[in-house]
Amino acid sequence: MTASEEILSVKALNVSYGESQVLFDIDLAVRANQVVACVGRNGAGKTTLLKTIAGFLRPRSGSIASGGVSLVGRKSYEIAQMGVKYVPQDKKVFSDLTVRENLELGSYATKDYDWDRVTDYFPKLKVLMDRTAGYLSGGERQMLMIGRALLGRPKMLLIDEPTEGLAPSIVSHLRAVFGELSKSAALVIVEQNLPLICAISDKVYAVKEGRVVAELEDRGAITAEACERYL
Amino acid sequence: MVNAFQWWRGPLLAFALLAASRVLLPLPFVIEVVIFSVYTIGCSFLVGRVGFISFGQPAYLALGAYATAFYLSYFGTNPFIGIALGVLGGLVVSCIVGPLFVRLRSDYFALVNLALAVIVFYLMQKVLAGITHGDNGLWFLTNIASTPVLDVSRPDGFFIFAFLVALAVWVLYKYLDDSVFGACCLATKINEDKLEFLGYSNFRIRLLAFAIANTTTALAGAMYAVYLGFVSPEMSSPSRAADPVIVTILGGAGTLYGPIVGAFAYTGMKDVISKLIGNWELFIGFLLVFIMLAGERGIWGTLQPWLEKLLTRKSAPIATAEPPADSREKRD
Repeated sequence: MTASEEILSVKALNVSYGESQVLFDIDLAVRANQVVACVGRNGAGKTTLLKTIAGFLRPRSGSIASGGVSLVGRKSYEIAQMGVKYVPQDKKVFSDLTVRENLELGSYATKDYDWDRVTDYFPKLKVLMDRTAGYLSGGERQMLMIGRALLGRPKMLLIDEPTEGLAPSIVSHLRAVFGELSKSAALVIVEQNLPLICAISDKVYAVKEGRVVAELEDRGAITAEACERYL
Repeated sequence: MVNAFQWWRGPLLAFALLAASRVLLPLPFVIEVVIFSVYTIGCSFLVGRVGFISFGQPAYLALGAYATAFYLSYFGTNPFIGIALGVLGGLVVSCIVGPLFVRLRSDYFALVNLALAVIVFYLMQKVLAGITHGDNGLWFLTNIASTPVLDVSRPDGFFIFAFLVALAVWVLYKYLDDSVFGACCLATKINEDKLEFLGYSNFRIRLLAFAIANTTTALAGAMYAVYLGFVSPEMSSPSRAADPVIVTILGGAGTLYGPIVGAFAYTGMKDVISKLIGNWELFIGFLLVFIMLAGERGIWGTLQPWLEKLLTRKSAPIATAEPPADSREKRD
């Protein structure tokens, strides 16, 4: 896959919750190995956008395609099997299962048992393997969720507010991990942490009241001041 | 997971007690316990692992029993073929109704299964009365042929057979519990959306669990049919719909020993209390309320920590990496 290849193409996307429309004519494009950030205030529709791409919401109209294949109408597990993985915001893991069992679930679905790759990114998971996931801290849960999503070598990760509520040291670690991850997968990150966005993003979409109001594609233009205007 | 209670000690103890009870207790009582534990283990798996409460288990019990009974009444005499057909009957019906039922959740799932039990009850009582003999039931005890090696037409032989079947079923469920499939079942109960993020179809996982559990129930029905040599629509009576759920909760939902303990306690109470007072169900009702209020863990759930301590008393203390239970952040 070449870096210029478009891995996600969203065109004229409209999404509603019942009669209430949440997203209006959203256009979004992500190329391979690109890190794309979505910024905007709470309630702007960022999470709805990710959930729609991941197949949890059905759009009212518009198209979503990955590698030329339409994702609209596909079940969420089929989209995950196609290599588009969603890491939700709430940091909910399978709390009654151990870290090892959580990873086994990821491995069995994808037939990828290369846990070394996961523990290379998150060495702490190695010592937590037999810990029940319900006992993990917020940061450890986030590591587990991202690590589990990495199994199967996805071509794109949709990550929702990964640093929310985490300690600065963990945020710094995740920042390094995202930098590394972008060498093998495209990342679409919904985030409000502006320093992180500026450090890792190749492109930023500003979302306001369900519409894309700005697109910053030049790394020089992606500054905290520029992003702050849309928060 | 660190588990001081080594897995093989449990079944060894449970089945040793069951075998000992054969010597100490009346044979019909022990056979009833063994079959009831097979009847309940599927329900326990559905309730504890998948999060499905089913009030329709008597339907699958009756389907297994009637499939066996039809064969032994009208077509053949080999009880093993009869039991195999009973299991097949349960599997076929599970695969037909499963795709419709497993799409439903919680209360609707419970009620649609209850509706199936009502349908099966009236089918056997009225619609198919020509071949089921309605409320009089179908008698075929004398049709069951003696079988070589293990003669299940005799109570002694049947007890050994039922015991081996129960052991095999237990091992199957132990394997399921420890497998990735078992983890998937638990995951779909905890958070179905999260499981789909990983690329699993909740529908397929639930359907498979539903088919396995109800086929096990049909196996219990087929065993009842061969043991009693008689089946009647009463088997799928809606008034008995809660029995497996009660035994599941009584024993401890989602545990492997719960169905054995629950079946033992329920059958024992039924036998003992019904001799002393007429309305024994009333006592069971009060007992269930007490168990729920005491912590919803059932008899096995309450006994397990105590037994673990007893069995590991002389072992070195096992280091645990987990903080105290009260510090656990229950978010899911």
